[in-house]
Amino acid sequence: MAEQIIKPDVNFINDIIAAGGESVKKCFQCATCSVVCNVTPEDNPFPRKEMLAAQWGLKDRLISNPDVWLCHQCSDCTAYCPRGAKPGEVLGAVRKLSIEHYATPSFLGKAVASPKALIGLILVPVIIFIAAIMVQGNSFFPEGEIVYAEKFMKVPYIDVIFSAAAIFALFGFFMGVTKYWKDLTKNIEKSSNPWQKKVKGPMIAMILETVFEFMTHKRFDKCDVTNDRSKTHLFVFFGFVGLAITTTWAIAYLYGHEFFHIQKTFWLNFGESPYPLYDPMKILGNFSAVLLLAGILQVITNRRKNAEKAGSGSYYDWLFISVITSIVVTGILSEVLRLAHVRMVAYPVYFIHLVSVFFLFAYAPYSKMAHMAYRTTALVFAKYTGREVK
Amino acid sequence: MEKKIGVYICKGCGIGEALNVDELKKATAGGAKIAADVIREHDILCSPAGLEMIHNDIKEGTNCIVVGACSPRVKFEEFDFPGTITERVNIREFIAWTMEPQNEDTQSVAEDYIKMGVIKVQKGDVPTPNILGDLSNAIMVVGGGITGITAALEAANAGYKVILVEKEAELGGWSAKLYKETPRVYPYDKLDEPRIFDKIKELEAHPDITIYKSTIVEKTDGQPGLFDVTLKTNGTSQTIKVGAFVMAAGWKPYDATKLGHLGYGHPNVITNVQMEEIAKKGKITRPSDGKEAKNVAFIQCAGSRDANHLPYCSSFCCGTSLKQAKYVREKSSDAVAMIFYKDIRTPGQTELFYKNMQNDPGVLLTKGDVTAVTDAGNGNLYVEAENTLLGEKIKVEADLVVLATGIVPATRATQEYFDALTEVGKKGDDAKKAFLEETPKPDSILNLTYRQGPEIPTLEGAYGFADSNFICFQYETRRTGIYTAGCVKQPMTMSDAADDAAGAALKAIQCVEHVAKGMAVHPRAWDTTFPDPMLIKCTACKRCTEECPFGAIDEDEKGIPAYRLNRCRRCGTCMGACPERIVSFKDFSVDIVGSMIKGIDVPDEGYRVIVLACENDAYPALDSAAIKKMKLHPSVRIIPVRCLGSTNLVWVTDALSRGIDGLILLGCKYGENYQCHFVKGSELANYRFEKLQETLSKLQLEADRCQLMQVAISEYDKLPAMIDDFMKRIDEVGPNPFKGF
Repeated sequence: MAEQIIKPDVNFINDIIAAGGESVKKCFQCATCSVVCNVTPEDNPFPRKEMLAAQWGLKDRLISNPDVWLCHQCSDCTAYCPRGAKPGEVLGAVRKLSIEHYATPSFLGKAVASPKALIGLILVPVIIFIAAIMVQGNSFFPEGEIVYAEKFMKVPYIDVIFSAAAIFALFGFFMGVTKYWKDLTKNIEKSSNPWQKKVKGPMIAMILETVFEFMTHKRFDKCDVTNDRSKTHLFVFFGFVGLAITTTWAIAYLYGHEFFHIQKTFWLNFGESPYPLYDPMKILGNFSAVLLLAGILQVITNRRKNAEKAGSGSYYDWLFISVITSIVVTGILSEVLRLAHVRMVAYPVYFIHLVSVFFLFAYAPYSKMAHMAYRTTALVFAKYTGREVK
Repeated sequence: MEKKIGVYICKGCGIGEALNVDELKKATAGGAKIAADVIREHDILCSPAGLEMIHNDIKEGTNCIVVGACSPRVKFEEFDFPGTITERVNIREFIAWTMEPQNEDTQSVAEDYIKMGVIKVQKGDVPTPNILGDLSNAIMVVGGGITGITAALEAANAGYKVILVEKEAELGGWSAKLYKETPRVYPYDKLDEPRIFDKIKELEAHPDITIYKSTIVEKTDGQPGLFDVTLKTNGTSQTIKVGAFVMAAGWKPYDATKLGHLGYGHPNVITNVQMEEIAKKGKITRPSDGKEAKNVAFIQCAGSRDANHLPYCSSFCCGTSLKQAKYVREKSSDAVAMIFYKDIRTPGQTELFYKNMQNDPGVLLTKGDVTAVTDAGNGNLYVEAENTLLGEKIKVEADLVVLATGIVPATRATQEYFDALTEVGKKGDDAKKAFLEETPKPDSILNLTYRQGPEIPTLEGAYGFADSNFICFQYETRRTGIYTAGCVKQPMTMSDAADDAAGAALKAIQCVEHVAKGMAVHPRAWDTTFPDPMLIKCTACKRCTEECPFGAIDEDEKGIPAYRLNRCRRCGTCMGACPERIVSFKDFSVDIVGSMIKGIDVPDEGYRVIVLACENDAYPALDSAAIKKMKLHPSVRIIPVRCLGSTNLVWVTDALSRGIDGLILLGCKYGENYQCHFVKGSELANYRFEKLQETLSKLQLEADRCQLMQVAISEYDKLPAMIDDFMKRIDEVGPNPFKGF
């Protein structure tokens, strides 16, 4: 095996510690973690080697390491670690640093990761939406029946702002994942690991397999200590899927009516919001919101319940959980308050809802949300290299 | 002294059930077999009533007490009758618990044992201690490091005069050269200031301690309580009398010039000792250009645990490197300390310090074998290692490399010299002469004037560390009254050395106190008997002077042994060695044991085998087998001896000529990892035995009749089977042809 030059980086160790991996140095290399892990490949397993690399601050062995993303932070390793080194938390910290590393523009990566920048990040959508309301000449507390679109934030404004945010996020994802993929494949040539050799097969098949895998949460289900997370994550995941379909559906109602003059047919309410509660789109939306709420509340309770065994999570984790909670709670409240005609509360809540959604969208490539892109990429890569042989 | 013998037989603990005590009493009273003045039995002899019975007889004039009861290893306080000759006959463990009850064979074993007990008190005498005159109880401590200073303070605080001798001009040894010490108190996360300076102050202020700096021991003459020590200070000599020694001569770091393969020779490759000097001056700078070192690599086991250098672990280096890693980190927050180890060994609570250091982000640890240290330009170095946790082969760049070199005991050079001399001596006188002329003789520490050499003898496999039979007795050396402590004895940390020093000081105190009472020191620490040779019959064969494991016997100019009694440990090796059988103790002599052997009843039918059992391990092992109720062969008769080294071959011929069918010498393991309390007793017995077996063959007697068996105290479970196997062999060989003559 070729000789490898080791360049320890204390700053990177300090970064891991700051990012929630404060126990990293406790590891005494017994390998219990790799033995109890149910999701690691048998050959050259994680997380022990990652713990070692982390202890020595070997940044280049971790940032572009696909194994870091094969970990689902079941926390089996953390629960069984005899020294309290919490490998699950350390890998979580490494993933955060990896997201930060590939963030484009990079200052946003740092900002999302840092509690100090939180106010600033929130102020961006707050200012945008206040400006939008003022440009429309709307009141912050419009009189009469509550109609969010007509009286508060007109659809074109919503569309422009969120499209811009989404395009910005897509761009961020595209840049980050491209760089990541480049590093991954570069390492194939560099690596001496036997498993990091390309296997032949159509990429599309691997992508489909990966998608199928996360639709069913097959890998997640292998976790022991925090097995309930598999279900809660499934709730949150499908809640989001449902809400994404709802949003697309609503766009179809709106623009179907506006540009293609599709009229109300039976129970399909083409036209402007608000839509009646019996509308199937509305039903799907409400159902997804409940699913998401149930999921995220479960996430919170489970995390607190498992804190002793699995670790209590980092700022990064909790920021992400808070944003989702805020979206779902303000979303449901906006609807309820509208129906209950509580005008003075309904508009501010809806405002917070808009800010939260913007926060999630615009900062997705820099927050924990980015895991969906990087993890998917890593899983595809693992299949591509034959790393994940069953 | 007119002897009045009382025999007391206990019936408790199963003895009454196993034996017909009435018959035994009759046999004893029968006169023909056993002569005793008083014969009594008791249901529980160790009870107040039983003991009162004996004490009443003593008042009436009985002065030789034979207690037929339990093993002498128990109830020794109950059966202690000062002023009498007391012999404990072990009929509980060796008969009642190990043989068929109420059986003719069993009964005859008991008769033989009681008879031997009576013979022993008949032949023995009450010991009178031999207290030499003009004894000193001062303690000399050689070495002024942490060990020596602690030993001196401990002894002086216990009320003894202490003389401390230090070779260097300053006290403190290596401890005084340290910048900081590894943490000594919970939670073991802060480096401590060196403790030595406070101790030096205390030492220098102590009224009972005399300090000699820049002084060496030129000559040590005499024996415990009467050592005449010649000290040489700056060319002037003086002689001081002391009672005992604590030898704390310490260690030297391993010679780093032999570590070229680890880069030593490059200016920025230093030893852990040099690292202390650098840290003491301030920032961690490197020798080549004075630049502050920010990437420091530590290589553990540099020349240790390595067959080509020091094969052993030096115990302190892991803790020291962790401590020095803390120097690096504390002096510069962005600095990195990388530690390459074979295994981190942090004895005792240092483990907690290790854990704390692991948590420091800038302390990087990996197992691995360092294969090379090479120049990387700019004064930097590459450290290459394989089999690391980070990969098969790795390479790191460092701006300073610290080699964690280990301990070489101060005694090693002398011991190597004498080992080499012994080797050369085998090649003949010319080779020896050439060696003596060519090889410079290293400085000896105590320069003993003993017949057996100027230094404490080498222990095989101890790599030059001062001999200690550490299996059981840490402080003992083979030179009575000289107790080693600290790193001259074995590698240890400073805290361990300080504890060790206290122990050695206590041993030295014990020694001066015992010689003041005419009592042996360890292991026969109660014994007031002593070897009393009838020198008029000595042929100056020098066997005793050569074989004495403790160098207790010098020779006069005619080669006649000159006993230095206070050096003697009373093992009886000289008694076993003497072909003229002139060495005797009051309660243990060639005649006593010979007579006991002759007292054994040898019937025409059936076998009789004698087991001479070492009192230290073999006898307790037999007791243990008895406690487990294992069966002992009824044909054996066990006779305890002080050490197999005391076995005189005349006993073997006595036994065989009387028709005894076989003889077992049951002693300790010898050779490397020996377990003999007297170092080489069983080995000497074996040596003598091999010669004997040739003689036996010449006499048409089967050599198999005599066998030496080595047994560890823990091997009691194998013992009965070992004896049974021997009995089977005797059965094959057949009865002793001398039977009946």
